[in-house]
Amino acid sequence: MQQTETAQGYVKNIWDTVKTTLVGMKITWRYMLQKPITVQYPDERMPIPDRYRGIHYLEQEKCINCLACARACPIDCIEMEAVRHGKELEWISFTLDYQKCMFCELCVYPCPKDCIHMGTEYAFVTFDRSEFKHDLLSFKGMAREARIRMKEAEAKKAAKDAAKAAGGGKSAEKGGEG
Amino acid sequence: MSGTSAFLEGLKAGLGEFVPMWALWLGSALISVAIALGLISLIAMFSVWLERKVAGHIQCRYGPMYVGWHGWLQSIADGVKLLLKEDLIPRDADRVLFMLAPALVLAAIVGAMAAYPLAPGILFADIDLGLFFIIAMSSMTTIGVVMAGWASNSKWTIYGSMREAAQVVAYEIPLGVSLLVPVMVAGTLNLREASAAQADFFGMGWFMFKNPFMLPAFLLFLVAALAETKRAPFDLPEAESELVAGFMTEYSGIRWSFFFMEEYAAMFLMSAIGAVFFLGGFESPLTHLAGQLFGRDLVVVGAGPEFAFTAINWGALVYQLVAGGTLLVKSFLGIFLMMWLRWTLPRIRIDQVMTMGYKYLTPLALVCVLGAALWEAGWQALVRS
Amino acid sequence: MANETRESAQGSSRIQATGPGEVTVDIRTPDLEINFGPQHPATHGVMRILMRADGELVTGAQPHLGYLHRCAEKIGENVEWLQYLPYTDRYDYLASMNNNLGYSLAVEALLGIEIPRRATLIRIICAELNRIGSHLVAFGTYGLDIGAFTPFLYTFREREWMMALFEKICGARLTYSYIRIGGVFNDAPPGWFEEVARFCDVFDEKWKEYCDLLLVNQIYVKRTANVGVISRDMALDFGLTGPMVRGSGIDWDLRRDMPYMCYGEIWRDGAFKIPVARGEMGALGDCWDRSWVRVMEMVESTKIVRWCLDHMVDGPVIGEIPKTLKVPAGEAYVGIENPRGELGHYVVSDGGKVSIRTRVRGPSFCNLAVLEDVLPGSLVGDAIAIIGSTDIVVGETDR
Repeated sequence: MQQTETAQGYVKNIWDTVKTTLVGMKITWRYMLQKPITVQYPDERMPIPDRYRGIHYLEQEKCINCLACARACPIDCIEMEAVRHGKELEWISFTLDYQKCMFCELCVYPCPKDCIHMGTEYAFVTFDRSEFKHDLLSFKGMAREARIRMKEAEAKKAAKDAAKAAGGGKSAEKGGEG
Repeated sequence: MSGTSAFLEGLKAGLGEFVPMWALWLGSALISVAIALGLISLIAMFSVWLERKVAGHIQCRYGPMYVGWHGWLQSIADGVKLLLKEDLIPRDADRVLFMLAPALVLAAIVGAMAAYPLAPGILFADIDLGLFFIIAMSSMTTIGVVMAGWASNSKWTIYGSMREAAQVVAYEIPLGVSLLVPVMVAGTLNLREASAAQADFFGMGWFMFKNPFMLPAFLLFLVAALAETKRAPFDLPEAESELVAGFMTEYSGIRWSFFFMEEYAAMFLMSAIGAVFFLGGFESPLTHLAGQLFGRDLVVVGAGPEFAFTAINWGALVYQLVAGGTLLVKSFLGIFLMMWLRWTLPRIRIDQVMTMGYKYLTPLALVCVLGAALWEAGWQALVRS
Repeated sequence: MANETRESAQGSSRIQATGPGEVTVDIRTPDLEINFGPQHPATHGVMRILMRADGELVTGAQPHLGYLHRCAEKIGENVEWLQYLPYTDRYDYLASMNNNLGYSLAVEALLGIEIPRRATLIRIICAELNRIGSHLVAFGTYGLDIGAFTPFLYTFREREWMMALFEKICGARLTYSYIRIGGVFNDAPPGWFEEVARFCDVFDEKWKEYCDLLLVNQIYVKRTANVGVISRDMALDFGLTGPMVRGSGIDWDLRRDMPYMCYGEIWRDGAFKIPVARGEMGALGDCWDRSWVRVMEMVESTKIVRWCLDHMVDGPVIGEIPKTLKVPAGEAYVGIENPRGELGHYVVSDGGKVSIRTRVRGPSFCNLAVLEDVLPGSLVGDAIAIIGSTDIVVGETDR
C-alpha cells in the first residue's frame, strides 16, 4: 500500500498482505478453538500465593507496642495506642489508614516479635472514606484470656499484699478493681 | 410474483371493498418498516453478542458469560442500559443536525433492508435493481455520519466524518465494480433472481465456481465491503486509539446505539450481498433437497378471492424457511469472517486506505470485470459452436 | 515558518487585488489545534500533546507534562533511605524491579558493602523478567495503538504469568519493592526457579507468535516502517537511551558498556547479545525498528535469566545492613539499563539517616523530548504510532 515504482513491488505488496493476513488469521483461529485462560472472577479466583501483600493482620497477643512498624512506615499510616498494666497491655487502638498504605511490606520486617503480617485479603471496599482507617485489633481492649490473666495477677498481688499486711500486724485494706 | 405482492393482492381481494387501496399500501409499508426495524435490532443484538464472544475466544477470554447461557441476553441488557442512559447533547453542538444524524443513518439502513430477501417468496420489496438499491441506500448512511461529525462540533468527530467520506467515496468504486462480475454472469440485479440462477448442480452452482475471475472478485468485494462498513482494518472513522471514537465521540445512549445498529446491519447486508452474488444465495444442497421434496412454490399464503388467509401452503413454507435460513447462515458466516479479520489485523492509515482503494482494488476489480467478460464471451462462443 | 504565514494569511484579507483585472485568492486554511490528551486512549497515561494539524498532516507538536507529578524526588529527601524504596516503584510502574535496583545500587555505592552472590543473581533474574514484562506491555499496547487488539491480550497473558511469578517471590503484582538496599527482601520460595525456567521455555515459543501475528504483518510493517524516523545524529543529540537509541542503530547498552552487578561476567560469557536495529523494513530508526528491538530484547532477557538460573549459588540474600541505615557522606550516581533506557539515580548523603539530595534521570522523560521534532510532518495516525513507539511511562516523565 506504499507507493511502489515497479510492477514487481506492486504484486509483492498484494502477496505479502494476503499471506501475512492469512498467517495472522491462522494464529487467531487456533486460539479461538482453545479453552480460554481467564477465570470467571467472582465465582472462581486465581490462587493467591503465601507471600501476598494484602490487608494486614496483627497477632495482638504478641505485639509489644514498640512502634517499630510505625517508624518504618514511609507514609506514617500506622498509629497505635495501648496502656500498659504491668506485663499486660491494654489496647486502645492499632489503626492502619488504607487510604495511605501502599502495601510495601516495610512495616513487617522490623517487627521484633514478628507479629504484624500482610494477609491475602485484597478487596477492601467501603462507602465511607473514614472506614479505610482500619482497626487491626480484632477487639477493643484486651484479649479475654489476657484480661483473666491480668485479674489473676492482680488478685495474687492483692493477696500477697494482704498477707504481708497481716504478717506486719497492720491492716491495709486494698480495694478490689474492675 | 413475490410473497408481499401476493399478500397485498390477497388483502386487496379480502378487504378491498372496506378499506381504500392507499390505506392498504400504507399499512403494509408500515408493517414492513416495523419488521425491517425489528430485524435490524435482532441482527444487531445477535451480532454484538457474536462479536463479543468471537473477540473473547480469539483473545483467550470468555466474553460475556452471566446474562443467560454464555451471555446470550447480554445485548438485551445493554440495550436496556442504553435506553436508560442520559442523552447528552453538547452545548455548542448543532442540535437539529445532531439529533437528525442517527435517525438518518438508521433510516437509510432500514431502507436498504427493504431489498433484502428473507426467503425466495418472502420479501419486503422485489426490486429489479435490488443490488443497486442496497448499495445506494447503505451509502446514504455516510451522509448521516458526516452530519454527526459536523454537528458534534468537536475536532475528533470532524476527523472521523471526513475520513468516512473519503473512504466511502474511494471504496464505492471497487465495491460496485467487483460486484459487476457476478452481476454479469447472473444477468440481473435482482437478488432473488440472482440466487435462483445458482440453483443448478444440486444447489452448488454458485457463481463462485462458475468463473475463474470470481474468486479474486470476491476477495476484492470482501475488502471493499469491510471498508464500506467501517470495519477493521478500515475502521478509521472511529479509530478508537486515534480519534477517541471518531464521529460518535459525542453521542451517548440510544442515539449512539443507532450508529451501532447501523454498523451491524450494514455488515449483515454486505454479507448478504456477498452471499447472494458469490456464494449461492438461497441455494445449497439442503435447499435443493427441500425444493425437490416440497416444490419451489413462492407463494406461501394462498390468495383466495373471498378471504386473505384461506390456505397456507405448508410445503412452500418449509422450502422458504430452509432457503431463508441458508441465506441467513451464509450472511452470518460473512459477519463472522469480518469479525475474525477485525480481531486479527491492525488498522490501516488513511493515506494507505486511499492508495489501496484507488491503486489496488479499483484496477484489479476492473481487470476482473474484463477477464470475466472475456471468459463469459468465450464460454458462450464455445457453447454455441 | 509555514505555520506563521498560514496564520497571517488567516488574519489578513483573503482576496486581494493583485493587478488590473487580477485577483489573488488565498485558499489556505488555518491549522487545526488539537488537544491530544490528557485523556486520550493513546497517550499511555495522562500526557498531553498540543498538536497542530493541517487536515491529517501534523505540522507541530508540543508535549505538556506534569499531570502525574508527585514530587517523588523531594520525597526522597524527606524519608529514610529504605523508606524511599516504595516510591521508586511508582515512577516507572511497568518496571518496578529495575527502579528498585537502580536506587539500591546508588545507595550501595555510597555504603560500599558487598552484596551476596545469590542476591545479585536473583536481582538480575527479577530485573530481566521485569524487562520482559515491560516490553510485553510496550509491544502489546503498541499493537493497540496501531489498531490490533488481540496481540495486546496475548502479550498480557504472558505478562500475567510473569506477574504471578513476582507475586510468588514478593507478594505484589506491580509495585514490588523487592530489591532492597543490600540485597533482596527474601529468598525465592521453593520451586520458583523451576517455574522461571518454564516461563522462559514457554516464552521462547510465544515471541515467535507475536512476530507472526503482528511484527511481520504487512499492515503493521506499512504502518510503522519509514514512520517517525530518528536518525543516528538525532538520537545522539537528544540523548536517547534504551531501545530508542538501539532502534536508531547505535550499539549502546549499559549492561555491557558500563556493567553493573555481574552483567559484565554474563556478557563475557557470551550469554546474550545486544539487538541493534538494522533498518530491515525501511529507514534506519523508524518505528518498526524500535518495536523489533523490543521484541528481540525480550528474547535476550530470557537468555540472561537462563544464565543466572544455571549459575545460581546458595547463600544469604542480604548483606550486612544495620537496622537503622546511616549512609556515609558522599555522592553517587548509578545508571542502569531500564527497559526504557538509562535510569540514573543520583544520591547525596551527609552521613545521616536521610538523603539530602535525590535525583532521578528518567529515560522516558529524555526520550519524550524527541517527539517535538519527530511528530511534525507525519499523519495523525502516524503520530499515534510514533508516540506509542517511544514507549513512555508518564509516571516516570513526571515523577
